[in-house]
Amino acid sequence: MSDFQELIKSFPKTREYVRDFFVYGFKTRDEFRDKSPRTYDNERRRLESWLGSYVRKDYAPGGSNISLAIDSNLLDTNPLFRVWKTKSFTDNDIVLHFLILDLLSDGMKLTAEEITGRLLTEYEALFDIQTVRRKCNTYEKEGLLMKEKSGKTVVYSIDNSLTAWMHSNEGILDALAFYQMAGNFGVVGNHLTEQLDHPNRTFRVKHSFCVHTLEDEILFALLDAMNRKADVHLEMKSSKKGAVNTADCTPLKIFNSTRSGRRFLCGYVKKSRRFTCYRLDTVKAVIPLEISAEYEELQERLERNRRQLWGVSFQGGSGHHLDKLTMTIQALEPSEQYIVERLKREGRGGTVTRLEQNIYQYEIEVFDCNEMLPWIRTFTGRILSLKCTAKSVERCFYQDLQTMYQMYQTKKDGSESSPK
Amino acid sequence: MIMELFSEIYSCYYQVLRHLLRSQDTLTIQDIRSRICGEGFEESLLSIIPKLESGTWNLFEKEGKLYHSRLSASFTAPVSDLEKAYLKALLSDPRMGLFLDQEQLDALGQMLASVTPLWRQEQFCDFDRFADGDPYEDENYRSHFRTLLKAQKQNRYVDIDYSSPKGNRVHHHYVPARLEYSAKNDKFRLLALKPAHLPHTLKRRRERMNTLPADACFKLELLNVSRIQSIQPLEKTLSSPVDIDAIIQRSYYKEPLRLRIVNRRNALERAMLHFANYEKNTVKIDEDTYECLIYYNQAMETELLIEVMSFGPMLTVLGNDRFLSLLKARLHSQMLLDSTDKTK
Repeated sequence: MSDFQELIKSFPKTREYVRDFFVYGFKTRDEFRDKSPRTYDNERRRLESWLGSYVRKDYAPGGSNISLAIDSNLLDTNPLFRVWKTKSFTDNDIVLHFLILDLLSDGMKLTAEEITGRLLTEYEALFDIQTVRRKCNTYEKEGLLMKEKSGKTVVYSIDNSLTAWMHSNEGILDALAFYQMAGNFGVVGNHLTEQLDHPNRTFRVKHSFCVHTLEDEILFALLDAMNRKADVHLEMKSSKKGAVNTADCTPLKIFNSTRSGRRFLCGYVKKSRRFTCYRLDTVKAVIPLEISAEYEELQERLERNRRQLWGVSFQGGSGHHLDKLTMTIQALEPSEQYIVERLKREGRGGTVTRLEQNIYQYEIEVFDCNEMLPWIRTFTGRILSLKCTAKSVERCFYQDLQTMYQMYQTKKDGSESSPK
Repeated sequence: MIMELFSEIYSCYYQVLRHLLRSQDTLTIQDIRSRICGEGFEESLLSIIPKLESGTWNLFEKEGKLYHSRLSASFTAPVSDLEKAYLKALLSDPRMGLFLDQEQLDALGQMLASVTPLWRQEQFCDFDRFADGDPYEDENYRSHFRTLLKAQKQNRYVDIDYSSPKGNRVHHHYVPARLEYSAKNDKFRLLALKPAHLPHTLKRRRERMNTLPADACFKLELLNVSRIQSIQPLEKTLSSPVDIDAIIQRSYYKEPLRLRIVNRRNALERAMLHFANYEKNTVKIDEDTYECLIYYNQAMETELLIEVMSFGPMLTVLGNDRFLSLLKARLHSQMLLDSTDKTK
């Protein structure tokens, strides 16, 4: 392993490994079938190096496997942010980064020639003008430097006023400590908290999925296309079978499930004339296409459709445009009022009606009632009846219930036995 | 304009070097090594030290075996366009008002006037988020939040008047340990330390020998910030730090939840992602069957039970006994209701 490097050039290759280790965490070396053993060893060593304290080793019959043991109740930050801090660079990159930013930090405006000269006289660092100019131009494009033209002269400078304002403002430092854990692109907030030396010691976040950060590059490309109202070509790899497929769509909205940890792109597919959702973790590449002439109109249509959307499916299996689901439950009054509250706050616009003492009815019309089953099951123990115009949903619910009765040998008299 | 998420300017090596270079003290190679070990990756030492020793990274002046930074103490990395776009996006978040007052929001908005936000709120939809999120724009709520935040940072006791979900009014002294946000509930909860009532003998032993760790003298309570009726900071502060993580870990049941997952209807992948939030350990039993251990405490129990039930027969609860009987009780109640309905 003499060619092992701790830092890497490109992110996507590593993304899948980290995801597999974090989400699954039982795969042995032999199960990474798509990759050579050498690649597996190197990736594994990198992962151990970046995330050392979270890596757990277990010995399984098919060989040892490593996984990431992350308990979100104990986290001040997302450990997977470290994966974003692994970009390789050249010796010139790092030296010029510190010296140029230090030289310009007092607000001076200097040309590339002047910077090159002062790097030599003040820091004993010899660089050619082209290299310095290239770095200054890159930093100008990244927003670290300002570039002004006066006649034929180009000067570079730094505006540190925002950094200074943040340093002196405890409120924004606290906000960043929070948002790096709780919001979109938390990794950027994390960069800022590190830059401002204000680590989070105050906030914890529940129901936030660490693994989402691995999709941020894809999300970034999608938002860029959405901001420009451009169509995109998606390259995807199925999480189930690994099959590769593609799709062209107009990207409209990001749907996020705070329960299941899945994130989706909702787009309009011209070919099928339908709204379709794609899981972000299956998208491997986003290629921007032309600007969509009907972007606003599609967005309005999506907003109208969203009222009948339970999750991410715009079509159920029943062949109806909409299906109606009616659930009657028992909630003892007044002690179990929290159940009624649950129906209201989790019911996504469904109506809740008190039928009689202790009996409530929940009703909703959505595109695909099948998506509701996981939520419906959370009321197990209280469901008096479930009716749905999509009969397959009704059947699935009651069949699953019968299966569970058998699995746990549930008997009416309450006598107990172990699961089958 | 280039905005790259994966850029060397945010790299761990740059961050370690920045800390080393801002130090105006003379450093030995051992000082440098320990800083790299503390902040870098496990193998960073092998890459960074030779570059500094050889002078390839000519960022220190070497004087014998001592290293002086060539940079000024005030060295600050400016904010990149990506970071500005991120900050601009945060400005539209309703929770931002918990941290900044209107004047500060306006000042930040002005500094970012020409910046395009990295995202807009309306581009995202948390479709299963609960409908009764906290009232972030309510002045009373904001004031309570800020008082808790300040007290947490100062380890200060606060006097809280609280209305519990069951409608009881509770009044206690607490030390705010953490503010916990739930993305699903869209609510903040306070992880509050409450002095525990220790047995008299234990208390005396602690006083005499100082052997009891500080975290053993407190228990952790969860309070919904929106249910706080009033709050008063007190003079008293914590005399020694409390290890909140130790308290949380101690609260976990010794026996974890043991699940068997048969990989049908994509259950494995769904379960692994769904429970990614918990500390868990998954082992493959045979071609299609997996066993997953999930660690949890009493406060998480009902939620975990609901999550497990949402999978229906795709998951089998093997243990612990406590969890298994909770699940069985729900199924038993359901079976009785099934019969009730049929008789109607």
